[in-house]
Amino acid sequence: MKFTISQEAFADGLTNAVSAVNPRSTLPILSNVLLQASGDTLTLTATDLDFTVRTTVLAKTGKQGSTTLPAKRLSTLVKDLPKTEIDVEVDAKSAATLRSGAGVYKIFGLPEAEFPGLPAFDGAVEFKLKSSDLKDALRKTHYAISLDETRYVLNGIFFSFKGDKLTLVATDGRRLALAEVNDLEIPKSQEREFIVRTKAIQELMRALKDDGDVVVRLAQNMVQFDCGPTTLISKLVEGNYPNYVQVIPTKVNERVTVEREALLNAVRRVSLLNTEKTASVRLSFGKGNLDISCNTPEVGEAREALAVPYKGKEISIAFNPEFLMAPLRYLSEDEVHIELIDDISPGVMKINAPFVYVLMPMRVGGA
Amino acid sequence: MPRPASPSSSPSTTLSRPRRSSRSVAASAPVSAKTKVNNSPASEESESPWTQISSALRDELGEGVFDRWFSTSRLAALDSKSLTLAVPNSIYQVWIESNYAAQVQAALLSVLGSKRKLNFVVDGSASSSRATAEPVATANEPEADEVRPDAHGLNPRYVFDSFVVGTNSEFAHAASLAVAKSPSRTYNPLFIHGGVGLGKTHLLHAIGHHIARSKRGAKVAYVRSETFTNDFIQAIQTNSLVKFRKRYRQADVLLIDDIQFLAGKERSQEEFFHTFNSLFEGRKQIVLSSDQPPSEIAQLEQRLVSRFEWGLTAELQPPDMETRLAILRKKADGLKVTLPDHVFDYLAHRIKSNVRRLEGALLRVASFASLSGRPLSDESVEHLLRDILQEEARRTVNIDQVQRKVAEHYDVRLADMTSKRRPANIAFPRQVAMFISRRLTKCSLQDIGEAFGGKDHGTVIHACKTVQNRMDKEESLRQVVKFLEASLQR
Repeated sequence: MKFTISQEAFADGLTNAVSAVNPRSTLPILSNVLLQASGDTLTLTATDLDFTVRTTVLAKTGKQGSTTLPAKRLSTLVKDLPKTEIDVEVDAKSAATLRSGAGVYKIFGLPEAEFPGLPAFDGAVEFKLKSSDLKDALRKTHYAISLDETRYVLNGIFFSFKGDKLTLVATDGRRLALAEVNDLEIPKSQEREFIVRTKAIQELMRALKDDGDVVVRLAQNMVQFDCGPTTLISKLVEGNYPNYVQVIPTKVNERVTVEREALLNAVRRVSLLNTEKTASVRLSFGKGNLDISCNTPEVGEAREALAVPYKGKEISIAFNPEFLMAPLRYLSEDEVHIELIDDISPGVMKINAPFVYVLMPMRVGGA
Repeated sequence: MPRPASPSSSPSTTLSRPRRSSRSVAASAPVSAKTKVNNSPASEESESPWTQISSALRDELGEGVFDRWFSTSRLAALDSKSLTLAVPNSIYQVWIESNYAAQVQAALLSVLGSKRKLNFVVDGSASSSRATAEPVATANEPEADEVRPDAHGLNPRYVFDSFVVGTNSEFAHAASLAVAKSPSRTYNPLFIHGGVGLGKTHLLHAIGHHIARSKRGAKVAYVRSETFTNDFIQAIQTNSLVKFRKRYRQADVLLIDDIQFLAGKERSQEEFFHTFNSLFEGRKQIVLSSDQPPSEIAQLEQRLVSRFEWGLTAELQPPDMETRLAILRKKADGLKVTLPDHVFDYLAHRIKSNVRRLEGALLRVASFASLSGRPLSDESVEHLLRDILQEEARRTVNIDQVQRKVAEHYDVRLADMTSKRRPANIAFPRQVAMFISRRLTKCSLQDIGEAFGGKDHGTVIHACKTVQNRMDKEESLRQVVKFLEASLQR
């Protein structure tokens, strides 16, 4: 096997693929990346059996064939090479020789035959949607995923392809983010709901491009995201996602529209006077005004006022500043709508698009 | 006297919340023979710890949160170390664990005396059984609505929905609603006072209905103070004081109507004093009504007066014109009668003192209209209601009364009202009296001037203008004038 490839393309492809490699893997072959050269493409594949990344980059194939090489070492090396063409030649014993300028590097690999085969998605249920739509919806929800491993069903995003739309939900028990991608055509018989692991979500957000389509294929307990050059395959989180509808307040009393950036900046500045343990900021809504404040004993206190078109009854409610800022960071709209019930009920954030963020208030002062 | 912790403070500071085992509650069943709502004794026995925990949780979390997250949960198991909740699906577990674990522990601490490890089981049948149970429940509801109130001795028509709120009753209504929504958390005791037929009993019943409906198994006891006294006398006669005490002291909500009838009944007052204390310490809601504020009830022991004034005292005042109209229209809707607008106006205009009388008049006019089939004119209505109107007319105010009242209020001599002296401390009250006379009596400017010691009509006009101007600026004067007018019209 022999091919020539630009350093940049090779390094990019390897970075993508390496993300699937589990550094603590006990099987030596799983530390390797599979290289397949054919025509004018090089396909790189890495897996930890639960999660697989396959990505294609441009290359000139001298002699087609395939092999596996230590992923981490190869990727570190290629990233460090000068930005020129790299010639790669692999001998029958799976030893690869890289030539870049004046450098020659020989790396021993393992035969391709040992590399696990990829799960088949023949006849799988298939959904097609715009890549940018999915990326946007993931951005709006991923920060709410639970990191608590004892609640493994929450360690991922809930995908619901149902009723001609895709609903994404993430929650950690204290907040919940929901976003929708509308106008899909989903026949009743193809409606599916599943949970995609956090790791796959992170890689998926990187792999999704701003144009083109993404194809989602669903087999038994696996999901495949085909995003053009890169394809991700991930095992699903087993179990049933909790019925999140219960969390979203059905009746709110007050609603106000706030400038997203202004609110984000104010909350960030005010929360600088928090210590980690007692982190909370208080939002006090009064007529035409929103006071953002925090008070940390022995550190100090901060207050910022924001003019908002608020007309309802006075409400003063405390939130975890990180939880409050997360959606503000990841949304791109100029304005957000905040809906409140009272001082102790969850707050709701919405935008002029199918998105809902429910945030539990903090009970400050032992109330 | 040292004040115990306020009722709204956290349960950990509660002095002596009775820690009842399920057994003792079951034993108290005969007591609640009248107020009992639960069905089978078996279910009551296993439910009662949860009922208590629920009500503690409801206090802790508020109605909205409780309804959303705990109302559909059941107690699956409880032992000395752990408590298992059966929840309809896993989101309940996630949310309760993340957000309400501390509150659940606090409730357990207050009800059971110690914390428990919290476990959950997802009870698939809970949600489905709820779904299937619901139609059954709605099928039963009308019946329950009719029957249950009778069990508490409450009039089913007296609910919050049928209460017309005006500025006169706004405060009392809001206080009652707050109490009904979170009993023993907001205002305890709540003392509602006001004249005859202004809605005291209505509010009391409405509180009872609301609590009985929203809190499953809550024991609502409604009694008139006369019944309390009679029960007490009977208990002494039949030597069954223990039973009597259980009946009143184990109520979750005690509503006592017309408390002024306790006046002069010393033993009853003493017994009531103890009942009051034991309920109050057990953080049970007490609501009282009377025709006078506590301090004005003659022959009521001072210690009771001070306890009544402890919580919130809310007054019901006679309704204003608009509220009277609203009451009439609501009542007419309820009776399914339609009357011409001018009849409503006429009634609302002429009958001012009392809602009961207003409703009686409406009923009389409505039945006359439907029986005779003749269109109603103001004359025929007047003829129809002549006795009621005569009774009302007795309340018309004359200048003499105004002068007395104003003189009394400003602490000037009555003679000063008619004198020619003009120091400010006399002249201004005199102007106020003229102003009120102008508003409340039908006397002409000249008559008023005459009655105030032969002043001419220009003086009266000037007085009215001065007072009006100052009222526009001064809140305190507005209140004084309002108070004087109200007490004159009572």
